[in-house]
Amino acid sequence: MTTPRDTLRNEAEALARRLPRLSAQTRASEAVHLGSAGRKRAGTGEDFWEYRRYAQEDDVSRIDWRRSARGDTLFVRETELETARSFYIYADPHAGFNWSGHAGRITKADRARIIMMAIANLLSREGERVGVLGSGEGAAFGKRALERLYTQIATPARNLLIAPKHSGSVIIASDFYDAPETWQARLAPIAARCRSGILLAVSDPVEEDFPFKGRTRFTRTGTPFQRILGRAETLQADYALKLAENRAGMAALATHLGWRFITHSSGDTALNGGALLRQSVLELGLKAGLHK
Amino acid sequence: MIFGPFLFLAPWALLGLIALPVIWWLLRATPPMPKEADLPSLRLLDGVEPREETPAQTPWWVLLLRLAAAALAMIGLAGPIYAPGAETRDANQGALLIIVDDGWQSAPRFSALIDAARSSLDTVDRDTPLHLLTTAPRSLPFDPATRASRQDMGQRLAGLEPLSWAADHASALSRLEASGLKPGRILWVTSGLETGQTQSFAEALVKLAPLSIYAAPPRSAFAITGLTADAKGALATLARANTKTEASLYVSALSGDGTAIATAQARFDEGSLTGGARFDVPPTALARAERFRITGAQGASAVWLWDSAARRQRVSLVSEGETAQPLLSDLHYVRRALAPFSLIDEGTLADVLTAEPDAIVLTDIGQIPEADAEALTAWVNAGGALIRFAGPRLAAQGDNLTPVPLRRASRALGGALAWDEPQKLAPFAQSSPFFGLTVPQDVTVRQQVLASPVPDIDRKTWARLQDGSPLVTAAPLGAGTLILYHVTAGPDWSDLAYSGIFVDMLRRSIAAGQGQRIDNADGLYAPGLVLNGYGLLEAPSDIAAPLKATEFAGLAPSEAHPPGLYQGPGGTRALNVAEAYMPAPITNWPAGATLLGEAEARTFPLAGLLLALALVLIAMDLFVALGTAGRLPALRRYAGRAAAALVLIGLAGFAFPVDAIGQPQVPQSAEDRALEAALTLRLGYVMTGDDETDTRVREGMSTLSLTIAQRTSVTTEAPHGLNIETSPLELYPLIYFAVPENAAPLSSAAIARLNAYIRTGGALVIDTRNGSSLGVESDFSGLKTLLEGLDAPALAPVPGDHVLARSFYLLDAFQGRYANRRLWIEASTITPGERRGDGVSGLFVGDADWVSAWAGDERGRGLYSVDGGKQAREYALRFGINLVMHVLTGNYKEDQVHLPILLERLGEAPPVDNAPGLQDNTPDAPPEEAPEQSLRDILDGLQNRPDPENEPNE
Repeated sequence: MTTPRDTLRNEAEALARRLPRLSAQTRASEAVHLGSAGRKRAGTGEDFWEYRRYAQEDDVSRIDWRRSARGDTLFVRETELETARSFYIYADPHAGFNWSGHAGRITKADRARIIMMAIANLLSREGERVGVLGSGEGAAFGKRALERLYTQIATPARNLLIAPKHSGSVIIASDFYDAPETWQARLAPIAARCRSGILLAVSDPVEEDFPFKGRTRFTRTGTPFQRILGRAETLQADYALKLAENRAGMAALATHLGWRFITHSSGDTALNGGALLRQSVLELGLKAGLHK
Repeated sequence: MIFGPFLFLAPWALLGLIALPVIWWLLRATPPMPKEADLPSLRLLDGVEPREETPAQTPWWVLLLRLAAAALAMIGLAGPIYAPGAETRDANQGALLIIVDDGWQSAPRFSALIDAARSSLDTVDRDTPLHLLTTAPRSLPFDPATRASRQDMGQRLAGLEPLSWAADHASALSRLEASGLKPGRILWVTSGLETGQTQSFAEALVKLAPLSIYAAPPRSAFAITGLTADAKGALATLARANTKTEASLYVSALSGDGTAIATAQARFDEGSLTGGARFDVPPTALARAERFRITGAQGASAVWLWDSAARRQRVSLVSEGETAQPLLSDLHYVRRALAPFSLIDEGTLADVLTAEPDAIVLTDIGQIPEADAEALTAWVNAGGALIRFAGPRLAAQGDNLTPVPLRRASRALGGALAWDEPQKLAPFAQSSPFFGLTVPQDVTVRQQVLASPVPDIDRKTWARLQDGSPLVTAAPLGAGTLILYHVTAGPDWSDLAYSGIFVDMLRRSIAAGQGQRIDNADGLYAPGLVLNGYGLLEAPSDIAAPLKATEFAGLAPSEAHPPGLYQGPGGTRALNVAEAYMPAPITNWPAGATLLGEAEARTFPLAGLLLALALVLIAMDLFVALGTAGRLPALRRYAGRAAAALVLIGLAGFAFPVDAIGQPQVPQSAEDRALEAALTLRLGYVMTGDDETDTRVREGMSTLSLTIAQRTSVTTEAPHGLNIETSPLELYPLIYFAVPENAAPLSSAAIARLNAYIRTGGALVIDTRNGSSLGVESDFSGLKTLLEGLDAPALAPVPGDHVLARSFYLLDAFQGRYANRRLWIEASTITPGERRGDGVSGLFVGDADWVSAWAGDERGRGLYSVDGGKQAREYALRFGINLVMHVLTGNYKEDQVHLPILLERLGEAPPVDNAPGLQDNTPDAPPEEAPEQSLRDILDGLQNRPDPENEPNE
């Protein structure tokens, strides 16, 4: 069961209003941003912008020899300044992610979507391009793009975990209960294209605490897989250990990819989750700057 | 199949018990149902082996519970029957002959006999041939050779009824022998009382086949064996079969319509088979009795029919039209003197002659018309006693129907112009029928007619004055007698009528005249009403044949001559079944017979009980299973508190069994309640013990009390539920008794208290609440057994104009939950002529279920549906108010209705149009426009005394 888009959208926008803007920090680090958004002026980027005469302070390696060979003057090839980045978001469509351990509690997927939509909203307002991973469309500017993002993220089943056409930053939300090796295989193609990314692990309090006792038949949500435990309480310690191992493995994977791994509990408030994700996005910028 | 005292109808089902160990093993191996849980993160536990995967074992007590349920179900399905007597009876398989004594001695415990006989059917195989023999002779007896199936036999036994004549064991034996039946064993259910050949019958049966006997002698007195009446009352002699203890019980004298006239206690001494009940009742009252009945006993022998021959002579008083002042009429004195002893009718001479009485009394009739005189003479010749009193008219012109010729004048003694003193009575001569009576010294005769001196006047004189002149003369005429009192029957000429001797002289006149025109030994008597085996009167069957008068003495009743009342030329004659009967319980049964005890003769099917137990266990197991699976978290959490609450509720239920339901009030002591009832006006209702009924009645009475308090100035407090046997009934002006269906008869103590209550002016409203039944006629048959012995006067439906219909509201009908039902009250309170007390009936009987119509919640909305809806409910409440008003104010309201006429007669009232006459006060009902109000206006204008209706408690 999927929550209607508008419900999610309202919650996300309410959350976005309560979060501080991303602007101050982004502006400060604007120069060091590497992105794909052309700023209609010369700068660091990938696309050709102009040839200009070689100046002394220019590095020799920047001389475009093919152009210079046509005349006597040395030319330097300028590329278009690309400060704006593309942000792609993605929510795991697995049934186990769209699940809540308690009747009154929000599902993990909804919580993840709301947080990501709020952050996308903030990013969009800062002039960044936002889009949904695997939706078949790229990231774009403006309000319409944001609305499109809302729509697409609200129908998770149609989104695929594939690399975007252009580089950018990705935010991938899931519960990441599959083994880290599995996730490494899935994320490797994306990491090849996107150098920065955030893995947002949302979990339910039930999954964290394992509060089961007595003879229990467990069903893995979304799969027919079942398992009966004679005395569930005896496995509580094992479970906690396994959960910690999983989280550590995912964190190691993220580091390996150059990404970040953050965790959020659906028992916590959306504001906390939003703040955490926002902080990570900011740090993404800083990290990018450090790379530079 | 038999195991000890247990029989099994389907013993093969017991094989299922073999499966119990398997069930045990299965139950042990199967863990309890797991809880279900969703967990997406289950993947994390892949590869983690649980430390303890062995399933939690089923607790031993759950195991026990389930095994017990299974075992109970299997045993239950096997159809076990607990039959303590089965071992002894199963000795010989073969045809079973059941012999039932259905004579009148068996009637008191007939159901026990039939139960024993039917229980024996449980102990036989399906294919065992069954035969039935009943011992009371009847024209179409059961053929003992007829073979019946078990089901047929059960129906046949259930259809048996006790007969009102005695069993004849000799003829039963001959029938059995004639049938040629060779039974495998015999069960004989009998009253255990000797009926002639009983002993020899038993011996013959023992020789025939193994014999089991179940004897159920009547537990207490069961027969009235004789009745003698005298001037002071009557003595009934009773018989019983059990001599071990002392006993006391009640015998009621009932009038022709079933009203109890008197009740007397009968006592049995220890070791005595007979006892007596003495009725210390004035003959006046006893004269109305037509039968006597042992309260609570069943059977033809518990009823003693009192026929007219044993009772009274029939005397006719000749009254030539009503006089204006009946109390001064001579006939009045005769009537009062004879009423206790005789059956009196009145009319013109021609009328009374057709009734052919034993005696005819003429007071001061000088000339008898020619035609009548002839008939009268013929009647006297045939044996009648003509008793005449003198008077001015007889003195003036007498006729020939006198014992002695009279002088044409009367003699006055002690008058102003007379020489003689008023004369006293002389002692009676030895030859006189009056001999033996004490002559009172205060009786004087002031005037008399004188007999002409004839030679044989001494012989004809029965009584004379001190101066020797005849006072009573008599002469035979044909078979009859002419008797003449030479004074008036009233006090005009003498004080004789004031004296007690007048009564005795009159009685002896009638008796000495022996006016029975019909000899008791003559004529044929046809059965009029006969007693059935249960002691109820019913119409005779076709077989009942007339009896000759001479045959009555010593006749044992039979089918052709059942006990009952026989109509004949001499009136009715009774044939009683237990006349001069002496019970003889049989103690030495034949040695070969097995005597079954009470318990042995019974069987108790256990299948239902066991299956129910199994179901209960299974239900318990369900909860246990849910609990272990964790499906009852709430139950577990609150289990402690819930259990405590349950225990508390249970305790409370025991502590306040009935009162507490729906009425959480502090339990009161009986004394407090009595005080409450005495200090405030409260209505009462009878607690029947049936919760549903009691709740309903309490609701209804509460609402009625509330409504009365709201609408009238009577302040009725909450009603009280009463126990007839213990509560102080006299404190309640009205007691409502909603009779539950199939209620057990009231105890004699309860009946006695109810009688006292009604007699002392209480009002008992009996509501059978079954007015919904089809048919307009009310069915009160259930009341008959319930209120056996209640001193109920004759009842009649309330006429529309009765004061009940206007004691507060003007009503057309007495609406209850059911519309158009009749309300019955004492007949004597309806006709204005003969009122008792205040004209308030002591008994109201109906079936319209008024309480349900009254019952409302705290906001006055009806709780139960009422024929006709809301409006009908309002009318029902109005009837309730009228009823209470009527009971509280008596005939006061009726007097109010007559007030305008009274005032008019006094010439003080404003002219009242359309004033109804005193006698016809109702045919056209008062107009709807509140005549109550106008009446009160009149009252207020004329009188200043407080209105009793507004201050009923003053």
